[in-house]
Amino acid sequence: MFRIRFHGRGGQGMKTASRILGSAFFRAGYEVQDAPRYGAERRGAPIFAYVRADRKVINERGIIDHPDLVVVADDTLVGMPAAGVTQGMDAHTLMLINSHESAEVWSQRLNTEASILILAAREDVADRASLPYIGSRCAAAAAALCGVISREILIAAINDELAHLSTDVIERNCQIAQTAFDQMSDQSGLVKQGGSLSAADYIPPEWIDMPFEKAEVSNLAIHAGATSVKVRTGLWRTMRPVIDYDRCSGCTWICSTYCPDGCIDVRADGYPEIDYDHCKGCLVCVAQCPPHAIESIPEQTAREQESGEQT
Amino acid sequence: MSKQSPVHFHRMKDMPSTHLLGTGTPMCAGCGGLETLHTLYDILGEKTVFVNAAGCMTLLSVYPFTPFRGGWLYTSMGSAPAGAQGVRDALDILLQKKKLSAEEDVEVVVITGDGAAYGMGMSATSAAMDRNLDFIYLCYDNEGYGNTGQQYSAATPHAAITSTSKGSHGYPGYKKDLFAIWAAHNPAYVATVIAAEPLDLAKKIERLQSLSGPRMLISLAPCPTGWDYDPELSVEVGRLAVRTGVWPLKEYIDGEVRHTKIPKQRQPVEDYLRLQGRFRHLFEPQRDEAGIAEIQARVDAYWKRILEE
Repeated sequence: MFRIRFHGRGGQGMKTASRILGSAFFRAGYEVQDAPRYGAERRGAPIFAYVRADRKVINERGIIDHPDLVVVADDTLVGMPAAGVTQGMDAHTLMLINSHESAEVWSQRLNTEASILILAAREDVADRASLPYIGSRCAAAAAALCGVISREILIAAINDELAHLSTDVIERNCQIAQTAFDQMSDQSGLVKQGGSLSAADYIPPEWIDMPFEKAEVSNLAIHAGATSVKVRTGLWRTMRPVIDYDRCSGCTWICSTYCPDGCIDVRADGYPEIDYDHCKGCLVCVAQCPPHAIESIPEQTAREQESGEQT
Repeated sequence: MSKQSPVHFHRMKDMPSTHLLGTGTPMCAGCGGLETLHTLYDILGEKTVFVNAAGCMTLLSVYPFTPFRGGWLYTSMGSAPAGAQGVRDALDILLQKKKLSAEEDVEVVVITGDGAAYGMGMSATSAAMDRNLDFIYLCYDNEGYGNTGQQYSAATPHAAITSTSKGSHGYPGYKKDLFAIWAAHNPAYVATVIAAEPLDLAKKIERLQSLSGPRMLISLAPCPTGWDYDPELSVEVGRLAVRTGVWPLKEYIDGEVRHTKIPKQRQPVEDYLRLQGRFRHLFEPQRDEAGIAEIQARVDAYWKRILEE
């Protein structure tokens, strides 16, 4: 059985990727399951989707714990524990990462026995308009790596799943998918199908047993206000707004008022400050600032600059 | 509730520069509804209790996290105003029994999406207005059932593509006039607002603070996820909704309807429609002249009526 997990951010098309791959397997004569799992169910937040495909009846259900192939559309998710990208990976797993960095860098960084392949990130990956196509690229690369899906079947599956979109969008997705499929074709069949799992091998999650308590003990009332600040929605961000204080006119209200999340407060000196722990990277502030004093840079670049400054 | 309005919003610089609503909510990046809510909360302050019907914003408070500094109550889609009645009654009883001082009293605020306000919650809202319930109601109207994937609602505009109106002409129906329906109940206050016009929003919030009884706000809530545009355009889309005349800003008070911002020279509606993927079929693959002209004609007819009055 093929067990494949796609990891990405809401809006990058991982659900679509799993549906395209699922449809392709189905057209190739497989029994298929494909399903998305949302966390925050919001654009930018980590999500994953999974596909099971087998020639026989599939009796497994639920999340894939032992993936044969893990496809990562957004490499910033790998280091995020909540995204669970590396969960259940072992020596037989193949990991495909959409990244500017090399397989060696990722192997070292993750200290994993899994094989790692790179789906070379396009130079314009910072261009958010290209994001919708990542789903088709990932599905096509996965199809090639499984080695049982032909180019024609893949294209037919894309046409099935994107039928509601305009013809030029479908055409563009097909082109991008074909390029990715060809890029991976010399690695065709690299994904090793995992054996059947028995209930006896099931490793339960590391749950902590909680003794039964009276309601007032086990169901705590929250007395503190604004506890949502504990949730670091800054992790959703792919682009970071940065204020150029030389250009900021100190209007004291525009970015602060329009920021939907209230992540920009005006300091005592009259200049705004962005709370990067929570800024989701919508970039409304960039679009609204009259003197264009806020620019957006890829989050990855911003983090590299920060770590460079620290060392 | 003691009625007072300590701040006066005359110019943009009077807008709050620090914010009360906690960050870290699960609302989408660029959420136009959250933009309205944070301004409402900045101005109303901590002495509030929110009654939230099921919808996107139910996710604001997922135990143990909440962006509010006070109470929050979750109700089913149809019954938020009924929940507000219960909370208001409980507060009034405590006040009467002197178990709560006037200073400790709080304002009861209902928040619902358009699915609840324009549809399922209509009878509970109507009944709350009949009983002259002292509460504030904010409807964040993103013109569809956004939390479940943007199915059409009674607030969906004509021709919009939603996940349940995917045909080549989009949603065949027309947006319900909730302002008129609410105003017909003669409540203390009804207004349409939008976060892209913050001063108009702030003035209206200030006005409703000085009143008691049912005080109703309908905020158009540009929705990057459901309307299909880049999140950074949220304010631009909202502003164009006003400048094209698609979303008239108005208020109902003392039996009169007054328009608070009349666009001097209305931009063509296509400036607004063109930015949104849900209307893309009006422009691609070929321009649907008749479709665009129909939407323009309806907006023109509205303003002709208003300006002649």
